[in-house]
Amino acid sequence: MDDLREQVELFESSANLATSISQVQKAIDLLTAARAKIAADAKTAPLTLAKLQDPFKKTLDAAQKDLKPIYAGLNKYGKALDRKFKDKPLPSAENDALSSHPSLINRAIAMHLLREGQFGVASTFVEEANRHPPHPEPTLNTPNPYLRESWEKDLAEGTFNSEKLQQQFAQMYHILHQLRIERNLKPAIQWARERSDILEARGSNLEFELCRLQFVCLFVGHGQPDDIMNEEENASGPLHAWKYARRIFGDFQNRYARDIQQLMGAMAYWENVEDSPYQRYFYNDSAWEEVAQSFNREFCSLLGLSADSPLFIAATAGAIALPYLLKLQTIMKEKRTEWTTQHELPVEIPLPSQYHFHSIFVCPVSKEQTTDTNPPMMMPCGHVIAQESLDKLSKGARFKCPYCPTESHPRDARKVVL
Amino acid sequence: MAELTSTKLNAESHLLLDQPLLRMPYELSRRNFKNAQRVIEHSSTALTSSLTATTKSASKTAAPNATLDSLDSMISKMQGLKRKLEGLHEEEQRIHRSAKARLRHLQDLYEVQSLVDVKYDEWSRTRLSRLLVDYLLREGYSESAAHLAQSKGIAELVDVDAFVACHKVERSLREGMNTGLALEWCKEHSKELKKGSSMLEFELRLQQYIELVRQGHEAGMSGMDGMDTEDGMNGVSVGGGGETKLVEARAHAKKYLSTSGDFELLGRAAGLLAYRPWDEVEPYASLYSPARWTHLATLFLSTHHTLYSLPPRPLLHIALSAGLSALKTPACHSAYTSSSANASSSSTTVCPICSTELNELARNVPYAHHTKSIVENDPVVLPNGRIYGSERLRVYNEKVGTEKGWIRDPISGVVGEKWRDNEVRKVYVM
Repeated sequence: MDDLREQVELFESSANLATSISQVQKAIDLLTAARAKIAADAKTAPLTLAKLQDPFKKTLDAAQKDLKPIYAGLNKYGKALDRKFKDKPLPSAENDALSSHPSLINRAIAMHLLREGQFGVASTFVEEANRHPPHPEPTLNTPNPYLRESWEKDLAEGTFNSEKLQQQFAQMYHILHQLRIERNLKPAIQWARERSDILEARGSNLEFELCRLQFVCLFVGHGQPDDIMNEEENASGPLHAWKYARRIFGDFQNRYARDIQQLMGAMAYWENVEDSPYQRYFYNDSAWEEVAQSFNREFCSLLGLSADSPLFIAATAGAIALPYLLKLQTIMKEKRTEWTTQHELPVEIPLPSQYHFHSIFVCPVSKEQTTDTNPPMMMPCGHVIAQESLDKLSKGARFKCPYCPTESHPRDARKVVL
Repeated sequence: MAELTSTKLNAESHLLLDQPLLRMPYELSRRNFKNAQRVIEHSSTALTSSLTATTKSASKTAAPNATLDSLDSMISKMQGLKRKLEGLHEEEQRIHRSAKARLRHLQDLYEVQSLVDVKYDEWSRTRLSRLLVDYLLREGYSESAAHLAQSKGIAELVDVDAFVACHKVERSLREGMNTGLALEWCKEHSKELKKGSSMLEFELRLQQYIELVRQGHEAGMSGMDGMDTEDGMNGVSVGGGGETKLVEARAHAKKYLSTSGDFELLGRAAGLLAYRPWDEVEPYASLYSPARWTHLATLFLSTHHTLYSLPPRPLLHIALSAGLSALKTPACHSAYTSSSANASSSSTTVCPICSTELNELARNVPYAHHTKSIVENDPVVLPNGRIYGSERLRVYNEKVGTEKGWIRDPISGVVGEKWRDNEVRKVYVM
């Protein structure tokens, strides 16, 4: 890396066209001087021109010679690049499984841009992509992409309504902005209240957390009064908070009795809450960020989307996985073996645990991952193996669990879902 | 055996996707240098000889005005050279700036030690923007690409101009059915093309020949000799009747095609003179086919990409294909809702492969290989067969306010069935 940087710095400082240009300027000066002399006295023309010949040629030669350091520098730079990427070949078309689905990729990109809040870029893109629909190209798994184009296009266009999605994300960014920057909870609380039932069924306590934060704000005295509270405008600080609590917390009584009790308990310390055991509820700087994040997650989940951009997660995971896949390719080429499991990668890719989303069940007997056709089965003793392993072990009769002494009949085993 | 999870970041092997990032400015500065070399050499020879000529004529005939005039023209030529060089110098500085910015960007990666570092997240976001711009440029969405690059502030890390130029040529072939721009490009890159023994120029010349023959047949058919046609080819005169066109075609073939040495192809080309476009006799029909323009456009793109060390397919595809497989599990396209990552309960996040953006794209890629089960701590099973980590189940039930002694399934939620908590059983996943 350092050698490359040094070379570029050399290009910037000396090995560039600046010197050649100054030589050219010198030649121009020579010519202009000669012209002035001849214009002044025409008789000197032959002599002046004869004298000009040599220096003029020399400056031009110098201009050419000054290119040499650039040439040498470029060569060196090129070699350094070759060294740097010697064992890192350009990924070939074999690694590409997606060229056959360009409209799906375009949709994913448009959704990514929208969820990142790049509304301007997204609308440029949607407009441009509609003007020039993409050309699918064959890939390993889909050798003839044109055959399936129609359903794919329907799918891409049917489920993708960029305007609607843009509106939704615009709302999300508006609320997030209000939360993070303006410290205004009202739009978020309103959003949560409109979806109270759905959020409650999901086991989300977003609405309560928002209201609790509002209570805290009022308590410590820098919250905007609620619209309905206008009549009690004079109420300030804890009194204001208490009135808010009486009005709002009633609905939360059942589910959050303990939290509400704690908040009410804090009222007793209203004069010096900073020194009280309740201090952590009231002076917690990360509370806003936590609430914003939990809002972001709930908002996306209600749209059926993951909280972080899938395109980002997948591209990052891909960059982590590529070295392993490339190594695998080299080994397969050397040993001339084929990859036998078409549905599963032949190599394990160690991703950090935040890239694990679903639970994985690998049957301890067959070492295969379970699927819909070969689901995990739990025996009465509580051990789990894959259906196929169960069938092989039991042959339809009573059998011993491979992990404990318990015997059972295969019909007592139950399908489980992880 | 590989570790199940590893968070160490090996920057050196992580740069697989980034070779084009550094190659492109290198190729551009080489091209720029060659242009500078050419203009200097060209003007030097011209100017030294014209100075010699002026000196000679000045010593013979004493016409001061003529001498001054030729000096003036030399000065203006020199100034032209200087302007050209200054333009190239500016371009050169721009390229170097971007090369430096790219090196700095890659150097940033070396400073990050762990894949779970926030800094890696940031770096990877920039990389994704780069890959997106690269994809947009390749697909010809240059406005979007420029817009995205500008809004992300990564203009120095992407090559908008180079791709815009490339697509102009490609479109002139694919949509304009015109060989002019492409032949010009071939002339500019003739040395490298010869070195790589590229067939691009030959194919373009062959296409010109085919078009001439086509015009010849068409003009002969309609009997309208002298009909004006426009084809915008360089080096080929336009107009003339059917017979003259065919003669011209033969001359063209002699000039540009006969040197190829591919006699089989030359034979087929000669056959075109006898078979007309509407005769539909193979192999001539496929030579006449408009599909050849698509073929030429594709050939141009692949030649261009090889010359500039660009991978044949967008890097975004490469990264995503690998990523989809690395993340995909059998549960992502299962008919049953997974207990561990779904949209129906706030106790989990939605898996990126299950999310609308990628779900259909991932349908055809293989899923990740695992040698060990990955389950939550202390798994328990509900009477309906769903397995959860006991902690997550407890927290969920607390949040939805299930009555004491009872348990609800997070997937079916508060409207679903509930069980006594002694019906929840421990499960052993080895």
